[in-house]
Amino acid sequence: MTGGVGVEELLRDLAPRVLGTLARRHGQFDACEDAVQEALLAAAQRWPAEGVPEQPRGWLLTVATRSLIDQWRADSARREREVAVATDPAHHAQAEADDTLVLLFLCCHPALSPPSQLALTLRAVGGLTTAQIAAAFLVPEATMAKRITRAKRQIREAGARFTAPPTPERGARLAVVLHVLYLVFNEGYTALYRTDLTAEAIRLARLLHRLLPGECEVAGLLALMLLTDARRTARTGADGALVPLDEQDRSRWDAAAIREGVGLLSATLGTGPVGPYQLQAAIAAVHDEAPTAADTDWPQILALYDVLAEVAPGPLVTLSRAVAVAMVHGPRAGLAVAGTLDADERMAHTHRLEAVRGHLLERAGEPAAARTAYLSAARTTASEPEHRYLTLRATRLRAADE
Amino acid sequence: MRAAAPTKGTRVPFGAPGARETALKYMIMMFGGLGASLEGRSPEWVKGMHELMVTMDAELKEAGEVVASHKLMDPSRATTVRFENGAPVPTDGPFAEIKESLAGYWIIEASEERAVEIASRVVAYTEYPMEVRRIMEG
Repeated sequence: MTGGVGVEELLRDLAPRVLGTLARRHGQFDACEDAVQEALLAAAQRWPAEGVPEQPRGWLLTVATRSLIDQWRADSARREREVAVATDPAHHAQAEADDTLVLLFLCCHPALSPPSQLALTLRAVGGLTTAQIAAAFLVPEATMAKRITRAKRQIREAGARFTAPPTPERGARLAVVLHVLYLVFNEGYTALYRTDLTAEAIRLARLLHRLLPGECEVAGLLALMLLTDARRTARTGADGALVPLDEQDRSRWDAAAIREGVGLLSATLGTGPVGPYQLQAAIAAVHDEAPTAADTDWPQILALYDVLAEVAPGPLVTLSRAVAVAMVHGPRAGLAVAGTLDADERMAHTHRLEAVRGHLLERAGEPAAARTAYLSAARTTASEPEHRYLTLRATRLRAADE
Repeated sequence: MRAAAPTKGTRVPFGAPGARETALKYMIMMFGGLGASLEGRSPEWVKGMHELMVTMDAELKEAGEVVASHKLMDPSRATTVRFENGAPVPTDGPFAEIKESLAGYWIIEASEERAVEIASRVVAYTEYPMEVRRIMEG
């Protein structure tokens, strides 16, 4: 018999497939989603004690369908016809994979705001409970429940159907799905202790890669996540403080994750159009493959940033490129590139520009100016670990200055 | 659960029948903005402060006393909305002076003595005042 953890994993794996099947049959995404949640809760209560049924997917589908019918019966306006369709036991196993994909597209519907897309994807595709999602995003459960309900209503109001997006829209819609998974990952990675979200993002990216093995950017995103997450344990010291990349103990990096990421990337690069996820993964791979920080192949990283700046230009790419320029051509050259962002409105509310400037000024031998930049960055960041790191960096310079 | 003993300082609501069964909630407030209070210190001091915070956070969580705990972004990033010329007008900057601005808080469920004890441990290190306030009930 399976234990509690095994049951939860099984349920999370089955959740999108059951919901996909149900929504394809009945089309009412929001009602189906509620029904599946009920079935999942029932299973989570009963399976650990009674054992997993022989056909767990069929069990969930039956319970969810019954719950759906109960909802309809309670609603006097519902027609007999729907009940008849709902009780039809025929189902198409081969359509399951497509259902999950359609489900992802639906949760990442452009009518929704990114926070709603994230929440709905985690619940409907990830199979997380509202309480788990609320905890991951540090908001009260009632707030998250409202956000999910509103998201489902918005999908209905947008007239979205449970079908794959038409071919001309597919590329753009897939880009939104990838972006949502990327945001889930970042949300978990930026807050050092929310590893549950990074794990969930990787799980969903794996699922998407399995559904769309030929999509290079899907493989690229999965590789990027693996190659970044590989450094997770080395990224914090014993006291929970941030450890920058060049000071990390590389023996603590996850070699298996790096191997998988690099393997995925080399099997993908050159088989289709190169997009930003593949390029960022390639940059992460160069870092991960250097035995020491001093061995880092910065000219190659700079070359990759040059391509990234063409494919997906943006202030954060420029800023990362400034660091690579500094490593290849010296801190003054890097500072000049970073300086081009001074007038960029998009950088006004992030601490990143001043943090990078602090590092480059420190390398250039200007401790006083570096200290000012670090303190300015510390005042702008909303991340506690980063605040601590930047303040420490500044106080160290003051101590060295005296 | 830690029941609030009806000792000196524990304010039993007027007319309440005997000692309360449930603990009271207190907000413990830290001032000065995290940036301003840390900037002039040594790296060792900043590290020590962080260690104290981590230890106390863990202890309060372990004891089941903490209800909420948050640090606020630097007060220089605050927006103050004032009523000017008959309309609300947002302006950049904090309402109070930076050294009097809220930097962070704990909300704990415990006795007033315990809340004061927690604040005292931080003040012993920072030498900067903290405020303990009872939270009203709905």
